[in-house]
Amino acid sequence: MKQDLEWEPRLVGFLCKWCSYAGADLAGTSRKKYPANIRVIRVPCSGRVDPLFILKALRLGFDGVLVSGCHPGDCHYQTGNYYARRRIAITKKFLEYIGIDPERIQASWVSASEGGKFAEVVTAVAKGLKEVGPNKLFADERREHRTKTTK
Amino acid sequence: MKDGNIEQKLQSEAKALLESGKVDYIIGFEAGSLKFTTTPLITNNIADIDRLVINPFIVNNLSVYLTEVKGRVGIVVKGCDSRSIVTLIQDKQVAREDVVILGVPCPGIIDLSKVERLVGKDRDELDDITRDGDRVVITVDGNETEFPTAEVLFDNCLGCEFPTPKEYDVLLDEFSPLVAGKAASQESLEKLKGMTPEQRWEFWKNEFSRCIRCYACRNICPACFCERCFVEESEPQWISPVPRWQDNLMFQIIRNIHVAGRCTDCGECERACPVNIPLRSLTKEMYDIVDDLFGFKAGMDKEAAPLLTAYALEEAEDFIR
Amino acid sequence: MASSNKKINKKDIGKLLNEWSQEFTVFVPSRETGTATMAKWDGKDTSFLDWYRNTVVSPKANILPPMEEMFHFQKDKEGYHIELPPLDGHKQLIFGIRPCDANALAILDMTFNDSYEDPYYLSKRNNTILIGLGCTNPYDSCFCTSLGSSPTDATNVDLMLTDIGDEFLIEAITDKGKELMANISLAEEATEADEAKAKEAREAAYNKVTRQLDIKNIDEKLLASFDNQDYWEKIAAKCISCGICTLLCPTCYCFDINDELLKGQGARFRSLDSCSFPVYTKMPMENPRLEKWRRVRNKVCHKYEFYPMNFDVIACTGCGRCIRLCPVNWDITQTLDIVPAKA
Repeated sequence: MKQDLEWEPRLVGFLCKWCSYAGADLAGTSRKKYPANIRVIRVPCSGRVDPLFILKALRLGFDGVLVSGCHPGDCHYQTGNYYARRRIAITKKFLEYIGIDPERIQASWVSASEGGKFAEVVTAVAKGLKEVGPNKLFADERREHRTKTTK
Repeated sequence: MKDGNIEQKLQSEAKALLESGKVDYIIGFEAGSLKFTTTPLITNNIADIDRLVINPFIVNNLSVYLTEVKGRVGIVVKGCDSRSIVTLIQDKQVAREDVVILGVPCPGIIDLSKVERLVGKDRDELDDITRDGDRVVITVDGNETEFPTAEVLFDNCLGCEFPTPKEYDVLLDEFSPLVAGKAASQESLEKLKGMTPEQRWEFWKNEFSRCIRCYACRNICPACFCERCFVEESEPQWISPVPRWQDNLMFQIIRNIHVAGRCTDCGECERACPVNIPLRSLTKEMYDIVDDLFGFKAGMDKEAAPLLTAYALEEAEDFIR
Repeated sequence: MASSNKKINKKDIGKLLNEWSQEFTVFVPSRETGTATMAKWDGKDTSFLDWYRNTVVSPKANILPPMEEMFHFQKDKEGYHIELPPLDGHKQLIFGIRPCDANALAILDMTFNDSYEDPYYLSKRNNTILIGLGCTNPYDSCFCTSLGSSPTDATNVDLMLTDIGDEFLIEAITDKGKELMANISLAEEATEADEAKAKEAREAAYNKVTRQLDIKNIDEKLLASFDNQDYWEKIAAKCISCGICTLLCPTCYCFDINDELLKGQGARFRSLDSCSFPVYTKMPMENPRLEKWRRVRNKVCHKYEFYPMNFDVIACTGCGRCIRLCPVNWDITQTLDIVPAKA
């Protein structure tokens, strides 16, 4: 139980350059508090996020993935976030079918002026992931064995 | 119409196409080198045309060759295969005017693995398999046994919605009624859905532990037309080339997502798999997801935009924060 | 001469395997994983005696596994440390290997035990006992008889079993085999009648192999046809460039080497590769086998032309897997049947 209390989920955030990344920036400059569980990767558009990125993050052992872009209608490239929406919808459903908790795949619309919302989203996602628990889906027996024996 | 008559019609059509110069190549089926098999025939030689066959064993989805064969092509297709051609047209991999589609209304294809399980013999040990509508007669050691056709058709054939080609230039036969078996075709998926997520993950982990990474599933798939697949990228290396179950499974998950809206449930990936991984239980689920969420079925309309390059302003987004 | 061979009742095979399990890790044909492979003997299931014709994954996998760690490395304050996997090799016994697959291992030996002696391969190979089981029911894709072998060929096994009805006739082929045979508690001396039955079984099996391939001067024909692009394009047309035929071939051995890195540590792996894949020969600027017909040509010629040049043996044993498992029914015997005699 002790371990459960200490464990903190690790989350990758793919944030669109024009809205969500700026939103995250604003959260910082306006001193909004949000958990440090997120590692941010800036992408030109949420439409740039291939579901491959999401899977790769899970394969590497991250506990969850957040894709965040501009609100519908606000995409810098007009339509990128609409494509992202479709892709994430099918990815989430499909991964659920295979046995991956859909909570691990998250999406949000955060504009450049929504620093507060960004902090709220990260807080909520981190809380949700804490309930889902650590991602041991792709646990590599070999590597775990190594880390144990080499200590 | 009897298979023999369809064959004759096909051969005369194919000959005429080659002779008139309307096509440079004909892609069809000829008898295979093993019992109950057919094999793709890709030819520009009129003398080869007599070898074209149509029978209950024409398994291959020949549209996979369209992106490769140069020039104009006359191609033999079943319902699902014709939809693959439509997706290739939608994706601008093939121009409609470059293909002459010779459509076969498909009464369902016989799954030799099911036959083997049913009679407990390998395919080369059987004397004969004959189909007459909804009955199939299998002869082993001179003894005939009759089975309902539904027990030996591929799962995807049992659930087939469009046995008659959606897009064709010549239809070689009238519509043949299909053996109904919708429920049977979903059986393996339903079984998985009845499991807990942990059990499902464990299931796939086991299945993909024996994957040898031959990429037959990808290479036989008409929807997988990328010149360079993400698995072969080394900078960055998305997936390790070492065939561990983790990477094998990840490869297949991504492949399925990439072909969403292109997969016509032709079932070729599962058939091609040399180590019996039930791949259709993945592809069919994606097929259903796409249908449920967006009302999209692959390869129905050559003018329509491919699923993932289109959107509607108002669309399911209850999962977005 | 009948006296030197023994026989064992089929019902006692389970006990025999348990006896051998004391000394070896015993592998038997199994469908436990969902496809036919050589898997660890579970101590009881001998049902394979009823269904086994050959495995999908060849026993090559026991000696040259699909993936294998070559070494592990780790970094600390003093620098990198390399740790080799144990190479002494545990003693394994493969029960029921078919003659084609045993012959294939002998062909692989020529590569791995050449001027460079491959420690990973040889440590396993030298610790492996092969118990051959003659075929009684070859597939229609089998063509071993065309390659100078037969479904009951005992050349490259340690101990050979031949089905003589309720029993197996046991022949010791190598010294290791003789030692093993001497210690089988359940075996009886074979009689002349048993020998006669075995002879009959061998002939019957031989005649059941119907697929024929004429290999006379095949290497010369291939050499002459090397530049015959028309022929190769025609042959390659339906190939989909997957790796089934090569990865499951008992004589294909190409592998790829990859490093996998973690923070401060990593491992080098080798895993089977296939010349059917376009990336197999991909180099920074150029790919000499980008076109499919060049890859198909390489696959065929490697087995039937280059290997004979190097080792004086055709690198194909006629196991028929490439024909049986090919999703488009690409058939190497048909290919070779129509090699033009002259270019």
